[in-house]
Amino acid sequence: MKYLAWTILFLLAISCQKDIEIKPDTAYEEQLFIEGILYPGKVPRIYVSRALPFFQPEVAPQEVFARGAVVILTNRGVALTLQADSVFDPFRCRWIPFYQGGAVAQQGETYDLNISYRGKSYAASTTINQAKVNISSVEYTEEFFDVYGGHDGVVIQLQDKAGEENYYRFQMNRMIDNDRLHAHTLGDVRSDCTNGNMFPITDLGRTVFSDENIDGQLLIMAIEVSFEYKEGDSTWIFMQSLDKRTAQFYKSVDSQLESIFNPFVEPVFIDSQIDGAIGVFGSAVLSDSVLFIYPQDNP
Amino acid sequence: MKTSSISIVFLLSGLLSYESVAQKKYTLSGTMKDSQTGEALIGATVYITSMRKGTTTNNYGFYSLTLPMQDSIAVVFSYLGYQPQIKKIYFNNNLELDIELVLNEDVLDEVVIEAQRSDENVQRAQMGVIDIPVTRISELPVILGETDILKVVQLLPGVQSGNEGTTGFFVRGGNTDQNLVQLDEATVYNPNHLFGLFSTFNSRALNNVTLIKGGFPAQYGGRLSSILDVTMKEGNNREVRGSGGIGLITSHLSLEGPLRKEKASFIVSGRRTYIDLLARPFTAKGNRSNYHFYDINAKLNWQAGANDKLYLSYFTGRDNAEYKETVGIFYKILFGNSTATLRWNHLFGQKLFLNTSVIYNQYDQNIETVQNNSFSQVFSGINNISAKTEFQYLPNLHHSIRFGAHYTNHEFLSKGKTEAQSSGNQSLNIGSIPSKYFDELAFYVNDEINISENVSTSLGIRAPAFISNKVEYFRIEPRATLKVSVTPTSSIKGSYTLMNQFLHLVPSSTASVPTNVWVPSSLRTKPQLSEQFALGYFNNFDQNKYEASIEFYYKTMDNQVLFPAGNQLVENFDVDTALVYGKGWSKGVEFFLRKNTGRLTGWISYTLSKTDQQFADLNFGQKFPFQYDRRHSVSLVGTYSLNKRWTLSSVFVYSSGNAFTLPVGRINVANGGSLFEGNYFIYEGKNNARLPSYHRLDFSATYKKRRKIFGKEYDSEWIFSFYNLYSRSNPYFVYLYVDHNENKPKAKQVSLLPIIPSVSYNFKF
Repeated sequence: MKYLAWTILFLLAISCQKDIEIKPDTAYEEQLFIEGILYPGKVPRIYVSRALPFFQPEVAPQEVFARGAVVILTNRGVALTLQADSVFDPFRCRWIPFYQGGAVAQQGETYDLNISYRGKSYAASTTINQAKVNISSVEYTEEFFDVYGGHDGVVIQLQDKAGEENYYRFQMNRMIDNDRLHAHTLGDVRSDCTNGNMFPITDLGRTVFSDENIDGQLLIMAIEVSFEYKEGDSTWIFMQSLDKRTAQFYKSVDSQLESIFNPFVEPVFIDSQIDGAIGVFGSAVLSDSVLFIYPQDNP
Repeated sequence: MKTSSISIVFLLSGLLSYESVAQKKYTLSGTMKDSQTGEALIGATVYITSMRKGTTTNNYGFYSLTLPMQDSIAVVFSYLGYQPQIKKIYFNNNLELDIELVLNEDVLDEVVIEAQRSDENVQRAQMGVIDIPVTRISELPVILGETDILKVVQLLPGVQSGNEGTTGFFVRGGNTDQNLVQLDEATVYNPNHLFGLFSTFNSRALNNVTLIKGGFPAQYGGRLSSILDVTMKEGNNREVRGSGGIGLITSHLSLEGPLRKEKASFIVSGRRTYIDLLARPFTAKGNRSNYHFYDINAKLNWQAGANDKLYLSYFTGRDNAEYKETVGIFYKILFGNSTATLRWNHLFGQKLFLNTSVIYNQYDQNIETVQNNSFSQVFSGINNISAKTEFQYLPNLHHSIRFGAHYTNHEFLSKGKTEAQSSGNQSLNIGSIPSKYFDELAFYVNDEINISENVSTSLGIRAPAFISNKVEYFRIEPRATLKVSVTPTSSIKGSYTLMNQFLHLVPSSTASVPTNVWVPSSLRTKPQLSEQFALGYFNNFDQNKYEASIEFYYKTMDNQVLFPAGNQLVENFDVDTALVYGKGWSKGVEFFLRKNTGRLTGWISYTLSKTDQQFADLNFGQKFPFQYDRRHSVSLVGTYSLNKRWTLSSVFVYSSGNAFTLPVGRINVANGGSLFEGNYFIYEGKNNARLPSYHRLDFSATYKKRRKIFGKEYDSEWIFSFYNLYSRSNPYFVYLYVDHNENKPKAKQVSLLPIIPSVSYNFKF
């Protein structure tokens, strides 16, 4: 009787669950993921990796790195082949590989990217012509709400330049130690290879802000930060001015993250900006930095 | 469009004038009823053997035949499941003849009747129509002791169910909102109880069910894909009768009888689940899980005079469910329909029948859900007040003309809200949702024309209009079917229909509960439009013991609506502003073989179909499969009368899996510890994968016996049944998760219904 009652009471309660194998209607075709954002004044760095079949086990970035790819960056007719390199990510104790090289990127210049890998070629181009923006003010907020829910963070004001399509993204540079946790996906990950020492991180905002319908106005943006903080932690805050394609790409990445977290959001396809591959080749122009010191521990 | 309308008018007038010069004629008219209850027999056949011509009764049991004068004619009155009657009539005057047919089981207990069945399916011009004899439904396998009309509809060719546990049915590639479900002419917006296990229709209160999926006559409109016309019983007008049943989770009771013998009758029928009461002792204190539904049908009818009859029907049904799991899941689902219909039938002589109705119907749905700590709520509310008037004019054997008007005032409320975090106090303020009002008006005329002995057609035109304070839409809908008899027992039919629909149900493709939202057409959301072409071959064998058909169809659907990628409902936004628009195409072939009489009855149906959609703002603008596109659907339904007491029946269904969106690849965005960092999905297309196929076998055995209690006889019935006999784990939905042991994503299927044995007891006195 007890079984029966529960059976009928609510079907979800007795719903059985099992792992199943599902195959898409068509066979998986390997794709390349390219993430190349040029910053004026910095050496170009292009992340090139292979996408994994969805149901394959997780692997380290080195294992999906597109080793052997020929990555050529051309500016004013001068083509330069970028070299494979990597940087250590102390927070997750792992190496992040990429292709890097050549002269620092310059404002106003056009760059062509050509990548050859396993018999396929990929091409993209970008011109760094977006204007640098000035941050008017930075304030701390203990709570604000966005589509992801409630957060603490910072509120930034800046004056948008009229007559242009502008896209902005937050950047915070700071030092953290292995006591600080990440707000989301890295929440359970603690660095165990820094011996308790402080190390630098670059915290990029998830939301891409657009001046659509508010062109030329004072923009007020509430921004969630990635890592925990303590009162007195000092940070350097920038706003990135993104080109349109970079903005579109990261907007779709942001939207997809919402759909992954929230079961009531329709699935989002990433808006790739490179033909034949997933990814983007674009640019970001940094504002001048603003010193911001946290007035309290995170709530 | 204009040319086709003019052609129809010319054709009609030409054929009518042809009749006017023919010889002297008389009219035979009347009603056909059940001998015991006085219930109208809908779709019963009146057939003149010598002329090989006939007609069928309308929804009120009325028939009329105008024939050339003859000394005498033999008329056969028949209806499936009833003893046919043959009358020899001296036909030299107008004649009114009311016929009462006797149920087969009442005449002969031991013998299985092999009465000849009507060949209406072959001879009538209309196609895409399937009549479902309610008397036969009770013998089919049931779930948890509940006979269900919609479960039977889902076994018919061209009709598909959703996933297990989802409500609604899908006809020829159309979404659930494209089915017009009418109960005594009142629209029922959600004909299902929760999870689609039961329909809102208590089959004990029903008289007749007809499904039309193509070749729609002009009297029907407002939906693209199908009409499910359900007629309630009128109630026994001779003696008080009751019936009831006790099942594992529901009980039902019906009472019917005369208010004034042969003049006025009533029927009241109610059903309620009591699993919430049974489960209460076993649920932990403070557990908020709870579910029950109920429905009530009631009808009064009054023969006001020789030519006037009044009907008052009422229906209400509600679901109330709440489920709270210890971690992270909460559902609160409340929804219900109510309808009331007041109808007046009037006969102007023997050839003109009038039906006028005033209808009220109401629907509301309020679903609050917390899943993965995300909150979502969807509310839809609809209130309609309608008036219909329809004339049926039967001037002669060659014409059956219907014309009329239909007006509806709609009030719509819809709002949705999704938030990433559940805070416990974020419900919508239902009272503050603004109403949207609009009117729908339609005029129509339809003529079923017998052009010659072998050729007949049904031509119609409907002119619907949608009027709101912001936008007006006026449309013209031509309808045409043509039947050519190949042999006396076979015919070829073709049809073309154009339909408009001013309501839209926006489906959610993600959530595991039905968080769909109704929205009306607007300036931005154009009326749905479909064109359907169908061609079929119909053949009956062995004196109509077997009927077989094959139908091909091709349907286009414009102005389809979906939510855009990344959509989440925001309280302050009008749902209408958050939609994307596209087209749909469906094509298929449907086979149907039915055995109507004998110890073994039942049918086999097979549908091969393909439905695609295309939206500029979805799936990179490329075509993608409709969510409920199922390539193959097979149903086998059989009932075998073992002897006068035992009846065995079984149902097997198989359907290809539904389409859903599955990522094909993963990329790791490793941008230096930012909030972007993590795994992202690569999709190659919307609805690019298929759920596992759906199949199950049901079985039931019914034991009938006439018993006595307190010296009075009553009919009793035990039903033993197994739903999903081999306990197939059919998919309800699939979700993705990361297996941290193997460090990889996996797909998990949730299934609802394993094998469910049940026993129920029914009685009738």
